[in-house]
Amino acid sequence: MEQIAAPSPGRDATRRTAAEIVAALVGVAVLLQLAEPQRFAWVQTAFIIFGSLLIQALPFVLVGAFASAVIEVFVPGRVLERLADLPRPLQLPAAALAGVAMPICECGSVPVARRLAAKGLLPSAAVTFMLAAPVVNPVVIASTYVAYRGREGMWTMVGGRFLLGMIVAVVVGWTVGAVSKDGLLKPNPEDAHAHPVELGRPEPRWRRFFLHLGGDFLFMGRYLVLGATFAALVQTFLPASWISKVAGLPVISLGAMMLLAALLSLCSESDAFIAASFVQFGHAAQLAFLVFGPMVDLKLGTLYAGTFRKGFVRTVVLASFATTLVATMWLQVLSG
Amino acid sequence: MSDALVPPGPVPLGTTAAARHWSPSRLAGGSVLGVWAVLFWWLLLTGRENFYLSTRTQWVVPVGATLLTLAALGRLLTARTTQREPVRRREAWIMGAVVAPVVLIMALPPATLGQFSAGKRSSFASSGVATSAADIASGELTLVDVAAGQTTPEGEAALAARAGETVDFVGFVTRYDDTPADELFLTRYVVTCCVADATIAQVRVVNVTPGAFEPNDWIEVTGAIYPIGREVIVNAASAVAVERPSRPYLTP
Repeated sequence: MEQIAAPSPGRDATRRTAAEIVAALVGVAVLLQLAEPQRFAWVQTAFIIFGSLLIQALPFVLVGAFASAVIEVFVPGRVLERLADLPRPLQLPAAALAGVAMPICECGSVPVARRLAAKGLLPSAAVTFMLAAPVVNPVVIASTYVAYRGREGMWTMVGGRFLLGMIVAVVVGWTVGAVSKDGLLKPNPEDAHAHPVELGRPEPRWRRFFLHLGGDFLFMGRYLVLGATFAALVQTFLPASWISKVAGLPVISLGAMMLLAALLSLCSESDAFIAASFVQFGHAAQLAFLVFGPMVDLKLGTLYAGTFRKGFVRTVVLASFATTLVATMWLQVLSG
Repeated sequence: MSDALVPPGPVPLGTTAAARHWSPSRLAGGSVLGVWAVLFWWLLLTGRENFYLSTRTQWVVPVGATLLTLAALGRLLTARTTQREPVRRREAWIMGAVVAPVVLIMALPPATLGQFSAGKRSSFASSGVATSAADIASGELTLVDVAAGQTTPEGEAALAARAGETVDFVGFVTRYDDTPADELFLTRYVVTCCVADATIAQVRVVNVTPGAFEPNDWIEVTGAIYPIGREVIVNAASAVAVERPSRPYLTP
């Protein structure tokens, strides 16, 4: 017989909070109907971009959470720990190459990298994988090819994106160094419920799979919503023309394109079409946009901030920026 | 004092070992996933995905709906447990915030980007998605063909060769401060993945009745096309108001 029939203050508080949240959401819906905020063009634009970013990105986050749950529940920890024993000079390029097998955009690679590090893979290798996957996977490379097809320098852009993506990811992984997983990852409150026992035994695998799946999605989802909000506001107010003013300045143009990529927060599967539209910029600047954007942007910034510790986020942002800048400067010099 | 909604910790003594409870944490998480699943099914059934995604990426909607439904059901199936798993008040409100975009999307009427964004977006005329010159040279000219034809010298030449032909374009009206009263720009957004990457395809329409159309009105223009350098002009033989298309964005 179950023994929780009697009402308790805790359960009452749960119900009260649930009722408050539902009432708040209904209130928001009613307010939207009455106030018609879409009368204001900028509000409507921001809502549309916000919604489209979420609708496109959430399934990828969920796919990433699926992969993450599979790693957690079905991949034995000793496999990843054995990989962690390999020398780092071997692990990092291998992790970057493994990104080729992950045909999803940047939002999906974060939960996977988090789980790989938590499960025993060398944290710097997990970071290398996370940064490389959205740049070097076949879908992204194919979309880059389509965007530049028939244009001068097509192979520079396609090959350059792949190579530069690998190089930057490995260098950032190397910069992260021998940090431990506790030094890398923030605790996920959802994980507190992810190792439950039933009558002294671990829960069945299928139950643990769904717990991890939901947990990762909920954890990443909140940061995605926040990041999409920032990105939508920036996209609403930022005219594309501002950047044209620095197109002719050698180093500044590279930095400006990286900044633009970070602000626009585009999916790595479509950003080549936007990069190609900046014809006033050279190949080096367009490559800077294509390599840096999938590694650091507003949407990812909130995901990183929620997943990784503060110092790490700073390291990734600075190392990605510096490596991309130096590499594309060389390209700029070599291509005249 | 803890703000946990259910007292944390082990089940009190005297509870039978097999006693199971509804876990507030798992129920709440399953509900959030369920609400998002409802949104994706709703997008699919109402066709609203056309207002957010290009035809290339609309496959994410059924995939998302299916995966979210599976994830929600799986989470709810695990919701009865012997462990107490409280949800802190702050966590509960964060989950509410994760659901808020669903309310936003479902409560607002369908809308598309309009004139406000047109000046802020890159022109498709300089985009890399080029229709081949051969495609531009023959067959019915579309707004994508016209805009993409300006990306390469070959495309521009193929487009110029069709000067004087009659075209039929649907788009929304855009006016700038210096647009003469008897002219307008017919604009359509070109979306590759989602609306966040929208670029514009635009032609100048001349010989329209002054004051006939307001910015953001959807119209159908029929007339002769005259590509002049990087600008494409359509001399309107007719311009009539039409309903917004069910697929308001073009896919390159």
